[in-house]
Parts: sequence; structure tokens; C-alpha cells
Amino acid sequence: MGCDKKKDAISKDKAAIYFEAVPADSSGIHFTNQLTPSADLNIIEYLYYYNGGGVAIGDINNDGLDDIYFTANQTPDKLFLNLGNLKFKEITKEAGILIDNTWSSGVTMEDINNDGLLDIYVSKVGNYKNLKAHNLLYINKGNNTFEESAKTYGLDFSGLSTQAAFLDYDNDGDMDVYLMNHSIHTPRSYGSSSKREISDDLAGDRFYENKLEEGIIKFVDVTENSGIFSSALGYGLAITTSDINNDGYIDIYIGNDFHENDYLYINQGDKTFKESIASYISHTSRFTMGVDIADLNNDLNQDIFSLDMMPFDHEIFLKSGGEDTDKIAQIKKNYGFETQYARNTLQLNRGNNTFAEIALMTETHATDWSWSTLIQDFDNDSFNDIYITNGIYKRSNDLDYISYLSNVDFSEYNQTKQNELELKLIEEMPTIKLSNIIFRNTGNLKFEKLTETAGQFPSYSNGSAYSDLDNDGDLDIVINTINEPALLLENKSPEIIKNNYIGFSLVGDREFKNTTGSKVYLFADGKQFYKELTVTKGFQSSSSRKINFGLGAINKIDSVKVYWLDGKIQLVKNLPINTYHRISRNMDLKEESISKNKIETKVNPFIYTHFENTFVDYEREALMPEKLSSEGPVGVSADFNGDGLDDLYIGGARNQAPLLLLKQYDGTFTEDPKNKFTQEIPYEDVDAIAFDLENDGDLDLYVMSGGNEWGEQDASYEDRLYINDGNGKLNRFPASLIKTNGGSISVGDFDGDGFNDIFIGNRSVPGAYGLSPYSYILKSNQKGSFTIVEQFRFGMVTDSQWADLNNDKLLDLILVGDWMPITILINQGNDKFKDETKAYGLADSYGMWNTVAVADIDNNGRLDILGGNAGLNFKIKATPENPMKLFIDDFDNNGQPDPIIFYDFFGNNVPFASKDKLVQQLPYLKKKFLDYNSFSKINSITDLTGKEEKDIMEIKKITELRSMIYLNPGSDNFKAVPLPTEAQMSSIEDFYIDSSKKSKKIIFVGNYLDYTVELGNSDANSGGILNFDATGSLISFEYLPIPNSINARQIIKLEETKYLVLVNNDGAFTFEVLK
Amino acid sequence: MKSIILNCILACIILLGSCKENIAYKEKLQDPELFQSSMKKLTDVIVYDIFSPPVASRVYMYPTIASYSIMQKAHPEKYNSLQGQINDFTDIPDPTDEDVDMNLAAIHAFLTIGKELIFSENRIEEFQNKIYSDLQETGLPENILEASTRYGDEVAKHILAWANTDMYKQTRTYPKYTILEEPQYWKPTPPDYMDGIEPSWNKIRTLVLDSAGQFPPKPPLPYDLTEGSPFHKQLMQVYEEGTGIDANKKDIASFWDCNPYVSHHQGHAMFATKKISPGGHWIGITAIASRKANSNFDETINAYTNVTTALYDGFISCWDEKWRSLLVRPETVINEHIDEQWVPLLQTPPFPEYTSGHSVISRSAAITLTRLYGDNFAFADTTELEYGLPVRSFKSFLHASEEAAISRLYGGIHYIMAIEEGIKQGEKVGLHISKNLVTLKK
Repeated sequence: MGCDKKKDAISKDKAAIYFEAVPADSSGIHFTNQLTPSADLNIIEYLYYYNGGGVAIGDINNDGLDDIYFTANQTPDKLFLNLGNLKFKEITKEAGILIDNTWSSGVTMEDINNDGLLDIYVSKVGNYKNLKAHNLLYINKGNNTFEESAKTYGLDFSGLSTQAAFLDYDNDGDMDVYLMNHSIHTPRSYGSSSKREISDDLAGDRFYENKLEEGIIKFVDVTENSGIFSSALGYGLAITTSDINNDGYIDIYIGNDFHENDYLYINQGDKTFKESIASYISHTSRFTMGVDIADLNNDLNQDIFSLDMMPFDHEIFLKSGGEDTDKIAQIKKNYGFETQYARNTLQLNRGNNTFAEIALMTETHATDWSWSTLIQDFDNDSFNDIYITNGIYKRSNDLDYISYLSNVDFSEYNQTKQNELELKLIEEMPTIKLSNIIFRNTGNLKFEKLTETAGQFPSYSNGSAYSDLDNDGDLDIVINTINEPALLLENKSPEIIKNNYIGFSLVGDREFKNTTGSKVYLFADGKQFYKELTVTKGFQSSSSRKINFGLGAINKIDSVKVYWLDGKIQLVKNLPINTYHRISRNMDLKEESISKNKIETKVNPFIYTHFENTFVDYEREALMPEKLSSEGPVGVSADFNGDGLDDLYIGGARNQAPLLLLKQYDGTFTEDPKNKFTQEIPYEDVDAIAFDLENDGDLDLYVMSGGNEWGEQDASYEDRLYINDGNGKLNRFPASLIKTNGGSISVGDFDGDGFNDIFIGNRSVPGAYGLSPYSYILKSNQKGSFTIVEQFRFGMVTDSQWADLNNDKLLDLILVGDWMPITILINQGNDKFKDETKAYGLADSYGMWNTVAVADIDNNGRLDILGGNAGLNFKIKATPENPMKLFIDDFDNNGQPDPIIFYDFFGNNVPFASKDKLVQQLPYLKKKFLDYNSFSKINSITDLTGKEEKDIMEIKKITELRSMIYLNPGSDNFKAVPLPTEAQMSSIEDFYIDSSKKSKKIIFVGNYLDYTVELGNSDANSGGILNFDATGSLISFEYLPIPNSINARQIIKLEETKYLVLVNNDGAFTFEVLK
Repeated sequence: MKSIILNCILACIILLGSCKENIAYKEKLQDPELFQSSMKKLTDVIVYDIFSPPVASRVYMYPTIASYSIMQKAHPEKYNSLQGQINDFTDIPDPTDEDVDMNLAAIHAFLTIGKELIFSENRIEEFQNKIYSDLQETGLPENILEASTRYGDEVAKHILAWANTDMYKQTRTYPKYTILEEPQYWKPTPPDYMDGIEPSWNKIRTLVLDSAGQFPPKPPLPYDLTEGSPFHKQLMQVYEEGTGIDANKKDIASFWDCNPYVSHHQGHAMFATKKISPGGHWIGITAIASRKANSNFDETINAYTNVTTALYDGFISCWDEKWRSLLVRPETVINEHIDEQWVPLLQTPPFPEYTSGHSVISRSAAITLTRLYGDNFAFADTTELEYGLPVRSFKSFLHASEEAAISRLYGGIHYIMAIEEGIKQGEKVGLHISKNLVTLKK
């Protein structure tokens, strides 16, 4: 009775994707990748000792049932024949597979000799210590028999192979091969990235061209001319192929471990590749282990998902090695390596040969020590899901292990007892068994994380592959695990019976046999779906050649279009659903010229380049999350010389003089010979505004200085006021102005006396991150001087805007900044302002706001507020329920405030700064937390410091990270409307609002590259255009045609369709937008 | 004469009477090994907790000074007060309770301060409890234990209040070193590329020196990679000698490695091996010398007092120069310009090259030891035995210090100029301390 109830409860708890393990006794799959470490071969002697084996799935006998090959590291590989109904028969020996104990790593099934039978290529660690072997090529002879022919075919490479991917790189109809190898030396020093030019016999990757189409049975090593790197710097662990830039040629993605970049080899169409990761992708995963490429948002563009090892359990997270320190990241950059983070990355293809990395936004970034990822629609709901294997037999990045547990006598280690000590070291290394993770795609770039409820259980899982092994329309998964029987997971997703599907297998013809790389477009229900035939994916594995499309509720498809690799297109109609179809290539296809994906560039460089001075704030303030010394540049567009054309003042960083550029009648700009600001080099300009100070009819200039290098009141923080002499000459007004790290200046006549009044908003107290500096409202006394009518520590102000929000003809003031809400100061008349933030419904809008703007977006006669925030693609999540909190106090009584941040890490409150950083700032913590394990239990500021929240000097919070529109209803609370997903992919730094029509067009620029490495660069979207209709509803979004990884700071309209983007530490440029 | 006899008889009676009591503890409290073992315990915890060389010198110094101050109170006829000799030091309070055993108080103050300065307090606490229970088992009366520890606590408090004003706390949050791009400047080194250790150590209050910069060495040779330039010659010397090709030199370099934290990246495993710091090695030599010279309890403490002062001021002087000249390590230059594969025999420690810390502090320590125990004090150095290294014999302290200095060239982590100028710097520091810190009354 009780038992039944329990069963019911379990079945009710089944998630929309559910797999059930089929026991070996039922399936007949008896295979275990058993590892037996020895003195010669173990995790210390061979760094990839616990990487595990692979799986290849394919139909070796063309009976419509996919068969399975497992690789083993220290025992024989095994081949299983699918008998149907998930029953298998081992045929290793009969099939002619070698039975020995050589080290197999990856395995791929492809028909490499175009005889219609799948061959098997096994990669080996074959030339290292006592491991001796060469890679094996099993040519399928039919009748379930194979003949090892690697030597004959020229593929008997002997070295350190991980996996091979077969692809037709020259579209000639035969399969060429990229052989990915790995380095085995532990990186002692980074050395120059130019080392990747030096080839290495054992570890360097190889490319072989298949000469079959020329009638020769041979693969020829063309590595040298192919444009690929073949060096010992390559720690190749992940490989897959796809036509990433949609130009009709197959490209290759290589995931490298450690500090070496991942490689994105773009096929140039002339038998060469060009490594292009930096121009396509802003940052990658660091310890890249597995990768797959498929369309995750059904926009017909191929997205990339790669795996790393960031933990999701808060305790493991706090006691494991994670991101590089900021210094090491800088060192690697100096050596020429690209930006990498130790977390998974989801590279969303923007369709213009650039990618937006949005793993943080989709919360797919942390799956711990992960090996294989497969992107397929596992519940047939028409959205591709992500299946991830993980677990590590020996977790070597445990920080207590590194610092304390591993106490060995090194001199002994060096001398005699090496073996003994090594075994002891290995024994003490912690292990971690994890449940595999599924990210179920619920559409709109949202994923639901599933483990136990999807039938997953703890394992050390490595290579994996998918196939509909029982031909019931859903995809099953096979996984190679360490020291335990391999897993066969039958897809038993509860909705599968309701969801429709359709599947295809592609068959070439005599003219063009190869089908790998073919593209299938499916049209149904007014939608399009896309898949590419690629089998090598995941990790050391290759999956089924069958192409499955989940259709959800769609019960009829219109047509299928197959793009064969030679450019011919085949249209197939009238295909019934819920079955598999064989699509054979038609003989009489016409060659259609593929629309090559050419990016038109409308971007032009502008004559200004910003140079940020080198200053690393974190080296003074170890606990801060972002730099405060790298604001700017700032631009002001105004007609200074009265010629009717808007000129440009651009203020730079410290050590760079500001510029005044005069606009010419032809639209160009030239430096103003009258205004040279060479004396102003010591200032870092953070904001500026042109306005008529003394009502003499010309524009004067107020420039706000800032920075975080020096102490408070340093002369270099002094603001400057320049008075226009009426002829366009700006003379610095000899008055002593405020000396602070400025944030924002804005001007408005709040008292209606015809003279401009000023708000001066300050960003920070230098050297004391988090503390709110004073900001000021200044009233013009109509003679060019001002009196303070309000001064208050509003917060770390970044932007401000005067606007009449309540239509009382009095200008109100809106302030935004870090750790503060969108703050509304309502003008009460008589020089009085009242903070009405709460009354306007903005009490929960504490954010990391960068910019604010106003416009009547919904045309109701009231000004709405537009706020640019850090966005959702951020390592930290913050909501009113689970805010990110900043505690400021002098916790160690040394006279310096210590800003300590806590945030919600997958449901647990954790400190933002690492133990190492916290101990550096607060040495007494070292005594409190003797090891990382005790530190990992911390759940609150009180746990950490012993201080109760109520006793802490100042507590700030962040409850909103989204960029928002707050619609002004004229009464009652503002209505919060988040900007669309694309606008949440990065930090928004500036808005331009085109209010010329009722339907508003909002252009934003963004990204922010000055967070600490722990947070990482916000670099997924440098800008976009939001088009609204007259009622304020969003109708469309488009990316700006500007480079994607820039640190954009400001957008300025120059002409009707021409805009200027100012970029931190980089050249400015202009772009054009169609009206 | 009579009275002497009478006294003797009285004393004998008392003695006889107390024979029934257990008085073995008294002997124990006189045994210098009680202090030696406390110092050894402190060393063990310093190694376990991983302190950088300059910080370790501070951890050794304060507890030792506390013990010395108590010994000075116990033997005012023999020792001078440190007040007026050591910066900002004020005399400790006198004991008020007759029951205080000064040696026990010295041990207690030593361990109490030691516990405060290290991290793993329980490791010292266990040791402390063991000592006290051993003493109690051998007859230490409760009232003496209580009075002595109370006095020891009082002294510890006094010393810690003084320690608290040495800028250590403040310097914890001083700026880290921002990497300077120019080739002559120090860059973090493989394999861990650790941040530079203690860039503001010259802000720490000196003991006997008037300031960190009292004895500045001459500037290093200008960075110049032109073949045949003086700098290039010295660089090539490190390149050739610094990998342990010569077995004798290799032994010397390994013996004096004294790197508290050596990180190893083997296969996919990362682990650290820990050893005593250079200062710790000289603490070990002091133990050997004081034992060999049969120094009694207070003399042993006196020896450590002189040595820890020399180490402490030596490190401040050296670090002042390191973070002034900011000279790049040979490994960085060699890897970049000569041989990318070159690896020094010893792991390059994480701070600028010039001058060599081991050279400076070995010299200053050797000079103070020579003053106490004489030149030509031959000894077998067994300090590194427990770290798996052999015994080396030296004919004098200076002999040992010279070998320590040159070992840095053989280890591939220093140019010869850093060694030669480091020795000179240490000599000046040592002589200054010998002259200005007079512990023993003449």
C-alpha cells in the first residue's frame, strides 16, 4: 500500500524529459571502462587519466537499427549489435575488432570509403610511456565484419589522439578528417601564444585529405597547408563541425583545455582554414571539455554550447579553484591568449558571424566537472534541449587538497619514493559523483534544469551519444562511465506520446555520396526548423546519423529542403509525420547558388581613439566587483562656434587631452585650432554638458572629472567650467570647483527663472567602494555662480535627468547609479525636492544602473523612464526576494571600510569575494576559517564576520538587474516593463531615443569590460535598436551593425541617419541606420 | 661561618621536607629544552600555515621579545631592558605575585603571542596544554601555574599592544603590485604567477634600524640585454649555473631553498610542498648553536632575541630595496629572450629579485650569532633533515651565511649582484644591530 503510494509520487514527479536506465542484463550491454592506476600510469603521470571513454552509435549493417561501439582506456573496446527492442549482442570478436588493452579515447563512425557501410575510427593514446599503439581504422567489410586498415589508408597516426571528426572540407564528395590530439605536459608557464605555430609530432592536431574522389585509397597529411595549428599548445578535448558562417563550407570547432584558446576554423573554401575565434566570439570556456553545435532558438542559425567545470553546489563552489585572479588573467592576455572563463558558454549565433555568449543569462553556465554535451530535442516539443554528462573520479582542484591535504615531502618525492608518494597523493584526492544534467528548452532562450526528476542519478559519466535505438521516435542516450557499467538511457519522457516527430536518414548518390554536412530545413505551421547532419559531437563520441525533428503539437509538415554539401538543393513534400523517412539524393538536381552570408559593413572609423590609462582598482580595493577608474570617454555634441553645425567635445581618460572637433559643412570633423586642451591631461573626463551659463547666447561647457586612483579631494578630480567668449573659444573659468569622482552632470531650469540650474551627481568616494558620496543640486543665482539647495548622499550616481514627470511644469530630477533605485526627486517648488521613489513604485528598482533617459513611449502625454542596467547576462542574479547585498563596515578595525558582497548562488547565500581575497582584506578571517571547507559553509555576513546585520554600518542592495522601461501612467505606480531578452544580454551604457515620430525608436549601446574576472566581461551585445509602436509595445529588435565585443560607452546622433559610438580604450566609429 | 652552616641545615631540612613532594617540575622549568621545543612548535605551525619569509620573521620576533623581557625582569643584573634600544618598545610590567615562575611565564607569553600571530591556534594550544599538564604531573603547584600564566598573559598583552602599532594590520590592505610593462621590471613567475609578496613591507616599523631605508644597497646593474653588457653577463651566469648541472652546487642550492610554499603541477594534480623559510633556517641554526654552547634557559632566549631581531630588520631592509628596484627575475628574462624551456633548479619565489633576501638575512643573523658564540663556531647543520635534506657542516656562522647567499645563484633565482650586494646589506644591518642592541650587561 505504502509502496504503491510512493511509486505514484515518483511518477508524478517525472519531468517533461525523462530517461530510464535499461539494466545491462536486459540490454545485453556489458561494458565497463575499468581503470586500474599503476605507478607508471595514473592521474599524476598522465593528466587525462580520468577523462574516460567514448561512444559511437551508427547502423553498421544497414538494418535500420543503430549499433554501439564503446572505447575503453585500459581494457578492450566493445561493439554491440542492435537486435531491436533495446536488446544488444556483443560482436567485438566476430567483427574483427582488436582485443587488447591499449588506450582508446575517442571513436567516430563514418563511411570513409563511400561504400555505403559505416566504418569505425578509434583514436588512441599511442605513444606515451608504456602506452604503445596507433589509431585504428576499421573498414566495414559487410556482414558485421571489419578489417583494421589504418596503415593502408594513411591514418595510422601514433601519438596523443583524443578524437577525429570526418568532414568533406573541399565539397568533393569524400570524407576528409581533422584529427584532434592533446598535449600531455602540465602547463608550467604560459609562454607566448605564438608557440602554437610550432608543430608537435605527438600532440599537434592533424588534417588529412581523402584522395578517394581522385581514385586513390589514401589519406594525405595536408596539415601544413591547411592553416590549422598543430602544436603542443593544443590541449584538444572537444571537437565538432558545422557550417558556422553559413557559406556552404564546413567549419570546425576545437575546444582546448587550460589557457589555450578554443579554435574556430573557418573553412575558406580553398582547402584551407582560418582560425577565427577572436573575431566571432568574445570569450570562451577555459577548460573546454565537450562541445555541440545546433540551433537553440529556432532562428535557423547554429549556436555553440561548450562545457567547463564551474560547480553549482555552493560548498563545492567555495572550496574549488575557479576563475583566474585578475592578475593572472592580465598575464595571459599579455601573452596573447583570448578571454576565457571557467564556466560553460552558450554562444548564440547572431546571424552576422558574431556570437552572443549567454550562458549566464540562461543559467546554463554551471554544471560542475562536465564532459559531454548533446543538443537535441529530447521531448520532441520542437525545441532543442541540452544533455550534459559530468562527474570526476579525482577532483584535483579542491583547494584544501592543494594547500593542506597534499603535504608531501618533496625532496623525497624528487628522489626515491616518487611512486609511493604519488599513490598517496592520488588516494587523498577527493572524488565527486554527479547526476547528469538536462537543460530543457522551454523556448525563448529559457531553460529548465533537470536531474533527478529526469531520471538522472550520480555517476562518473564521460563520452555520450544519442540515437533512437528502438525507433520509437524519441532519442535515447548511451553513456560511457568510469568503473561502472555503461549506461543505456531509454527516453521515457511523459509528453513524448503527445508530441509529434519526423525523422530522416539521408542517402547520397553516385555523383555525391557523402551526406555529412548536409542541411535539412523543415517547414511546418508557418515555422522553419533546421538541422545539420554532423555525428562527431559531445566528447570523444559520435551520434546517430538519423535526423530527428520534434514537432510538438504540429501535426503536418509542409516540406523539407535538403541542402547537399555540393550546393544542390532537394525539395521533398507530402511526408507523413511520426515516422522516419529515407531521403535519397535525386540525380537531376539543379545547382542553386547558395546565398553566401556576406556581412555588409556600414561601420566607419571615426577620428577619435580613447586610451584608458592603466590602473587596476582591485589591487587597492580587493573586494570591489568592478573598476571605477575606467569611465569615459564622454562626448558632447553642441554648436560651440555658432555656425549652425553641432561640434563635438570628447573628453578622454587621464593622460589624454580632450578634443574639440568642429563640424564642417561636408559633415566631417576637424580639430579646433582655437581650443587645445593640452593642459587638461591630468583629468579623466567622466561626464560633460554644454549649456548657456550666463544667458549670453553662446554655449559654455562643464566637464566633470573623475577616477579612482588617488585619495579624496585630489586635484585631478576637479571639475572644470569653460566659458565661451562668444567666438567659440572656451576659456577655463578660474574658480575652484568640486573635487570628487564624478558620475553625472545635468542641467535644467528647475525654478523657471530662465537660468540653467545644475545637478552634480558623484559616483564614489575614492578608495572606499560602496560608500555614497555627496551629490548636489545647485541653483543659478543668474550671475554665473550657484548656491547649493540640496546635498545628499543619494548613492553611487552614474546618470541623471531633469524631466517634468508629474506634468506640473516644474522640472523633477531622476537619478540612477550602482546599489540604488531609480530615484525620483519631485520638485516641490521653492527650491525644495522630495524623494518620491517609493510613491512612484520604484522601491524595488535597486540596480547597477548606468544610464537613464525619458520619452513618452506610449504616447499618453506623460514622460516614461528608460533605465540601462547591468542586464541579466550576469553571473549574479538579484531579485527583491533574493537581493545581492553589500555590507560596508570596518570589520577589522584598521580604519578602512571593507565592502563585502553576498548574493544568492543557486539558492544559497554566498560571499562574492573568494576566501583568498577576503583574507587579504581581512587577515583575521584566516584564523576563523582555517581551511576552505569551513569557509564553504558560510551562509551569511554574520557567519563570515561575526557581526549581525543590524550592527553593520551600511547595507546596500541590488534587486533589479534588468534594463527597464517604467511607463508613467500619470497616477499611481510606474509600470515596470523589462526590455526584451536581447537587450538584457549585456550592460546597457547609453540610450539614444528617436522621438521624431509617435512610434519611438530606441537605440542603445552596451557591454562592459571592466568587471572583475569573477564576474567576467559583459560582452554579448554592443548595441541594438528597439522599435516600438505608438502604444509603446515593442515590435522589433535588431542588432546594431557594430563590432560585438567592444566596450561601448556612448551613442551620439551626428546626422539624420548617422550615429557616433564612443568606445572605452578603443577607436570610435560611426554607423548608419535606415530611417 | 656558623650562620652558613645553620643556613645549610635549615635549607637541608626544608629540602628533605619537600622531598616528599614532587619537585621534578622545577628542573623541567630550568631546562632550556622547554623553550627550544616551544620555538620548534612555532616553526612547525608557521610551516603548516604557510607564511611568507618576511611575515614569518615577524611571527618569530614578537613572542621571543616577550620571553626576553621576562628573562630581563628575572635577571636584571644580567640583561638590559629593551626600552630605548628597540623602537617604540616600553618596558613590560613587573610581576606582582610572588608565586610567578619567570621561566614558565616566559613560555606562556611566548606561546600566547605565537598563537595570536599564526592561524592554526589549536596546534599551539594542544602543545601548550601538554606542557602544562606534564609540569603539573611532575608537581607544579596550581598557584604557581596560575600566577605564572596570569603574568605571562599580562606581558603578552603588553607586547601585542606594541605589536599592534607596527603597521602590519594597515599594510594588509595596501595596494598590490600592478605589473609594469617595461622589461626590466618584475613580473609574476611560473607556475602560479602569484602576486608579489608584501610590496609595502618597508612600511612596517623597524626594531633597531631607524628606518627601512637606513642601509640602501647600490642600485642594480642597468637592464641591458646587449651581449657582453654587465647585466647580460650576470644573466648568462644564472642561465648556465642555475639548473643544478653541477652536483655540488645543486646540493647547496637545494639545502638552502627554504621556500615556504612550492607549488607543483604534476599531471592533473596540483599540490604544494612546504618548508621552513630562510628565517626559519636560522632559527634552526640558533637552536643548534645554543645547545652546543650549553646555553641555559635565559641565554637561549637571549640568543633567539638577537637572531630574530636581525632577521626581522634584515627582511625589512631587503624588502625595501626589492620593491624599490623592482628588478625582473632571471627566469622571466631567460624564458623570454634566451630559452623558453629553461627552468631554474629552485622555484622562483614571488617577489622582485634585488637584493637576495637569503643573502641579507643570513648575513645579519650570522653576525649576531658570531657575536654571541664566537667565530669559528663549527657546527653540523641538521635543520633541514626533517624536510628530507642532508646535513651540511660549517666551520662558522659566516661560512654558513656565505653558502646560503651563493646558493641563490646555483638555484637559478638570483643574479650574482643581488647576492654580493645582499651580503653587504646584511653586513650593515647585522653590525648596526650588534652595536645598538645590547642585551647582555657587560
